[in-house]
Order: sequence, then C-alpha cells, then structure tokens
Amino acid sequence: MRSLISICLLIGGALLPLPAEAQEVESLRKELEQMRKQFDTMKDGYEKAINRLGERIQQLENRPQPAAAPPAAAPPPAAVAQAAPPAAPAVTINPMDLARPREPFSLYGQRGPGQLLFDIGVAGDFIGNLTQSNVDKANAGSFPGRENRFFPREIELALFGQIDPYARAEVRFEAGEEDQGEINVHLAEAHLTLMALPFGTQLKMGQMRNRFGLLNPVHEHDRPFIDDPNVLARFLGEEGLVERGAELTWVAPLPFFLEALVGVFNGDNETAFGYGKLTAPLVTGRLRTFFELGDESAIQLGASVANGETSERHRNTLLGFDAKYKYRPEGWQHPLLTLLGEMIYQNRRVNVLGEDTNGDGIPDTPDQKRTRNRWGWYLGGEVQPFRTGQLARWAAGFRYDWTQYPVMRGREWAVGPYLAFMPSEFLRFRLGYKYTERADRDGFTDNGGSARKVDEILFQATFILGAHPAHPF
Amino acid sequence: MPMRPLARTLSPLLLLLFLGAGLWAVPAEAASKIAVVTTTTDLKALVEAVGGDLVEVDALARGTQNPHDLEVRPSLMVKVRRADLLVMNGLELDQWAEVVVQGAGNPRVGLGAPGRVDASAGLLVLEVPQGKVDRSMGDVHPVGNPHYSLDPGMAPGVTANIVEGLARVAPQSRPAFDRNRLAFLARVDQALTRWTAELAPFKGTKVVVDHNMWVYFLTRFGLAEAGSIEERPGIPPTPSHLTKLIALMKDQKVRVILSVPWGDQKIAERVAQETGAKVVPLAPAVGSAKGTDGYLETIDYNVRSVAQALK
Repeated sequence: MRSLISICLLIGGALLPLPAEAQEVESLRKELEQMRKQFDTMKDGYEKAINRLGERIQQLENRPQPAAAPPAAAPPPAAVAQAAPPAAPAVTINPMDLARPREPFSLYGQRGPGQLLFDIGVAGDFIGNLTQSNVDKANAGSFPGRENRFFPREIELALFGQIDPYARAEVRFEAGEEDQGEINVHLAEAHLTLMALPFGTQLKMGQMRNRFGLLNPVHEHDRPFIDDPNVLARFLGEEGLVERGAELTWVAPLPFFLEALVGVFNGDNETAFGYGKLTAPLVTGRLRTFFELGDESAIQLGASVANGETSERHRNTLLGFDAKYKYRPEGWQHPLLTLLGEMIYQNRRVNVLGEDTNGDGIPDTPDQKRTRNRWGWYLGGEVQPFRTGQLARWAAGFRYDWTQYPVMRGREWAVGPYLAFMPSEFLRFRLGYKYTERADRDGFTDNGGSARKVDEILFQATFILGAHPAHPF
Repeated sequence: MPMRPLARTLSPLLLLLFLGAGLWAVPAEAASKIAVVTTTTDLKALVEAVGGDLVEVDALARGTQNPHDLEVRPSLMVKVRRADLLVMNGLELDQWAEVVVQGAGNPRVGLGAPGRVDASAGLLVLEVPQGKVDRSMGDVHPVGNPHYSLDPGMAPGVTANIVEGLARVAPQSRPAFDRNRLAFLARVDQALTRWTAELAPFKGTKVVVDHNMWVYFLTRFGLAEAGSIEERPGIPPTPSHLTKLIALMKDQKVRVILSVPWGDQKIAERVAQETGAKVVPLAPAVGSAKGTDGYLETIDYNVRSVAQALK
C-alpha cells in the first residue's frame, strides 16, 4: 500500500507540472518561430541590399565598355573582374546612375586599422669627429667634449597628429651624447597648435624650437650641414633657441606670401637670455616672405627679433636676417642649387668686472656695465648636379662662417666643404672637412690644450624610420 | 644700439602692412566664385568641368612636376590661404599638402572641415599591398596605387566626390554642378568608346613602365605591365635588375617602355636600345606635355601615343 501511495505521489508529482512546462515549451516554440521569421526577413533584406550594391558596382565598372564594341574588345580591369565577371553582358547605363552618390566612405573605411592613430617617426643622427689632440684637450671642436669620437648626436622619437578638428600636437623626445659616453634623454618639443582661430591666425603653445632665423626651427638631422653654423652656436648655444611659451602666426591675405609671428616665452636659454620668468619674458617676432622667380627658382627672405633678459637681468636683443634661394630646373626632383645664409646682430648689456691693473690681485677699477654690439654670419650652398640615376644621389656643399663672440672679445672664421650621399629619401651620409681659425686663444685653452686653429674631419649618418612630414622650403 | 627709435620706426610700417593686407583681403573674400585649390592638375581639370563658371580653380602642383614629392613652397600656402575648397588626390600621393594647409592658416580646408575633399573616397583602389608594408619595398603607397586619375573610367566616382564637396560650400548650386557633371561624363563616355576601340587590337599586349603609375590606365584598356625600370618605387634600378628586365623584355617581346617626364630617360633609352623597344613619353598629368591642356586631351594623348607605338 505504502509503495502504491509512493508511486501515485511520484506520478502525481511528475504530472502536476506538465501544464506549466507545456506552456513554456509552447511559448519557446513561438519565440523561436518569431526569431526565425525575423532572421529570414533580415536575410532577405541583406540579400536584396547586397544584390543592389553588386548590381550598382557591376553597372559602374562595366560602364567604360562601349555598347557598340564586342564584349571581348573591352576587358574589365583585373580588380574589377572580381566584382564583374568578364562574361557579363554589356549593360546600357542610365546617365542618372552615374550621377548617383556612391557611398563614398564605404571602401575608405576598409583600408585597415589605425585610422585614429597619430604619426610616429624616429630619426637617428650619428656624428664622427676627428681633430688634433690639443683641440680635443681644450674641448674646442665643433662638438665640444666629443672630439675624436663617434656618437649619437640626436636620436629622436616624434609623435604628431591631429587632436581634433581644431588643433594638432607634436611631441618629440631626444636622446644624444652630451659628454663622453653620457647619453642624455630629454623632452625636445611638446606643443599644440590651435589652427582654427579667427583672421587666419594660429596659436602654438608649449615647448618648441623658436622660429628665429632659418635653421633654428629645423631639427639637427634635417639641417643642410653636418655641424651647426658657428654664429648660431655662439649666439644661441649648442641646443639653439628652444623655449616654453606661445607663438601667434598670421599669414597675410596678400597675393604674395607674408607671414608674421609674435611669441612670448620664459627666456630659459642660458647662452642668450636665462632670466626665465614671465615677469621679464623673452619676446620674439618674425616676418617671412617668399617670391617665385619663374617656375624654376625661388627665394625666401626673413627677419627675426628676440628680446629678453639675461640671468644677470640685463637686456639682450638679437636681430636676425636670413635668405634662402633654390634653383630646381623643370622636371628635377631635387634642387640643382641651394644657397642660404643668416646674420645675427646682438645688442646686449653685460657686467664687466673691475681690472687688476697693478697685479696685486685686487681690482683697481670698479665693476661696470657695458654694451656688447656683436654680430656674425654664415653663407652656405649645396649643389646636386645630376638629375637622375645613381649620380643623382650625390651632392656637394660648403659653408663659410664668420662670427664675433657674444660676450668675450675675439672672433672666429671657418670654412667647411662636404660631400653627401643619399641612397634614398630616408638615408643620408655626409663627409666633411672644417677649418676654424680664432683671433686668439682666450676661451679655448681648457685642460692645457689650445685651439686657435682647428682642423676637423666630420662624418654624419642620418636615417628616418616611419612618418616624417614633408620639409618646408 | 638705440632700440626704441628702431621700434618707433618699425611700428608704423607694421601697422601699414597689416592695414594694407586687410584692405587687399576684402576684394578676395567678396569674390562671387568658389575658390578651389586642387593638389594636381588632373583634379583641377575635373573641378573645372564640374564647377563651370561657378568656380575658380588653381592647382598646387604643375603638370610637369612629380606630385609624389612636391616641395612645400610658401607660395602654395598663399593659394590655400584663400581657398574655399581643397580637393586632394588622397591615397597618400599628396600628403605634402597637409604641411601646406598647416602653414596657410585657413581652417575652412583643414582636416575634417567641410572644405576638404578626398577625391579618392569610394573608388576601387588597385594594388593595395597585402601583409606587412615597410620601406624596404621602396617608396610604396601603403593604401594602394594613387594614380587613378589616369583611368577615365574613374571620372564618375571622382566627379561625384567633387560635386559633394562643391555642394557643401555652395548648396544652392548643386543642380548646376550635377548638370555640368552629367554633360562632362557624357563626353567622357563618348571618348571612352573611341579610346577603347583604338586600343582594342592590342588587348593583352605587355609594356614596361619607368615608374609604377599606369596600372589603372593599362587595366582599363586591357594592356598588361611586364615590368618596371624602377626595381622598387622611388629607388633607382640596380644593374642586376636592368639585366633581368632586359632579358624579360626580350623573352616576352615587349616593344614599348612608357615613361614620365621626371623619369630617367637615359636608362629608359639604354634599355630600349638593348631590347629594340621604343620609349614612349606619356602625359602623367594634365599640362605635362604639349596638347594636354584638358583632362580628355590628356587621356587622348596617352591613348594615341600608346596605340601609335604598338602599331
């Protein structure tokens, strides 16, 4: 009896949920059916859309085939053949079909990932230097502290791109040998440019190479010479004018190019300024113009000014004038002749310590403030005389330097020819010689060395990896 | 150095300059025509065909210049400074134009602005590299061959992009742009029938090129590229490559070398001498040769030159 009751209970227990489960199964079936219908509808829709697009592609790609010509006379392009089989009959095209918009971005979007990435580039610049041992001792070569060495001058990682529709940014890190074997990694530039300001102005802010003169804004690996012109090294320091602040530029709406620039910076450059406070900022300005001299040659002229305070809180004003000329015959992919030059004039107040006239070790005249009106210039040129072929990869150039020193007395001149070989746009080797002669030894006699006359053999190897923006004129 | 007198002298000069520039700017901005700048002369011709009297078009590159690597001259910035619309070839042929735009101070044609047109948008691009692309392959175009404008069959797509761009700047003139476009495409269609017939007898014929820029043109007219004088794009050929190319041309009986004005004519002539082939200078862009002042004339010049050489 007990077992009969148990069986009944079990059967009852099993049967009781039946109506509920049956309902669930039924509803799931309905849901499945509904989904199947939805899927079929979507499938039909997609098939129709695919067929429509296929037909349109076929029509557009078959369009060049002349209706009158036999099909064999107008084979479809190889790439088109994938979409439109060659056996397809010629189609009469309604002109309105040709005018219909073609979903312009559908294929563009398929051109691979990375559309939102910024550009990344690496530039490497290695220098080799051979000179006399006395110059080496005095650290008085073109690369002070790195005489008779082969070293990385500038290994640069550049990241640049558009921030949004209104601004772009550029960040550059550099590593290079500062002193024997010592590699210094630093932030070379980091700035953003607002490009959509009123009246055609642009505002660049951050840390940047100042647009003072012709070569200062150009990175070392992109410069037309192995070493820096003496006048730039003396008046702006080995690193050049790299400042933190902002620059506003304006291109005048004229029939010829005229760009005006004004900038306000900290004034951190220790060679020329160095006070480094916005209470007495470094103010810069530049005017640049450009003229086409026919189709084959052009000239750019510029004038710059930089006015700030030195670390001694004395005013220093630099005026710069520059010119660049290029001659590129019709059909040439590189200039046959490039000439460029810069001049810097300085008006600077300095402290002059009192002089010990009787040799007792005590200054006999009081400290004085003096004005140093100094200047210097360079003129350089490059010839790349062959239009095409293997010889087109070779160029020869020279530079002549003459400069006074910004603070101490004396001057120097130098001449340096060089030969360049460029296997491709992204690889370059240069070999040069430089002779420097100084008016006296003062300032170039460290460690018992002396460097009034300097002979140097210079070698440069430069490469570019990845993205690199086109070079301006 | 008396800096204050200098500043006093310069200030009025600068003021005059700015005022003068402002006055000069007025007539330019008041002009009724749409100021369009294109990167190439082919695009200039196509914009003129679509825009008609409503546009004033200027090209940054001349027809005789290699558009791959144009020097960014400030004079180009002056042109872009005034533009309402900038039409670029795209596919990384004219990336140098970005530097021009950056220096021009004209936000109307900046990246993503309504005044910017990528004429390659939506086109079927050939020779899109598969797999890893690096510079050991030469100056390769990572998003495909950009010389589509040499194929007249691309005119519908390119002009559609141009119409869209012009209509963004002047929506009220869209019907006129559409009318002009249809009339132009009808002329292209008519000419295409003639060109196709002219080159039909040479279907499948192989040619050698000095730079890999004719793939669209050759494919359109059923010709094939047997090889290139450049071993890799933008890199001068090595002697061993030329030896192989000469052997290939002899083996496959290639009779024609297509050359561009900025190519190495001497090498092309040398290869031609070795193989008995003929060097055929083509017009890679509108205005690059005599009698190629318009788009149709340029294609016509190329078709005639190839047909005559292959006869």
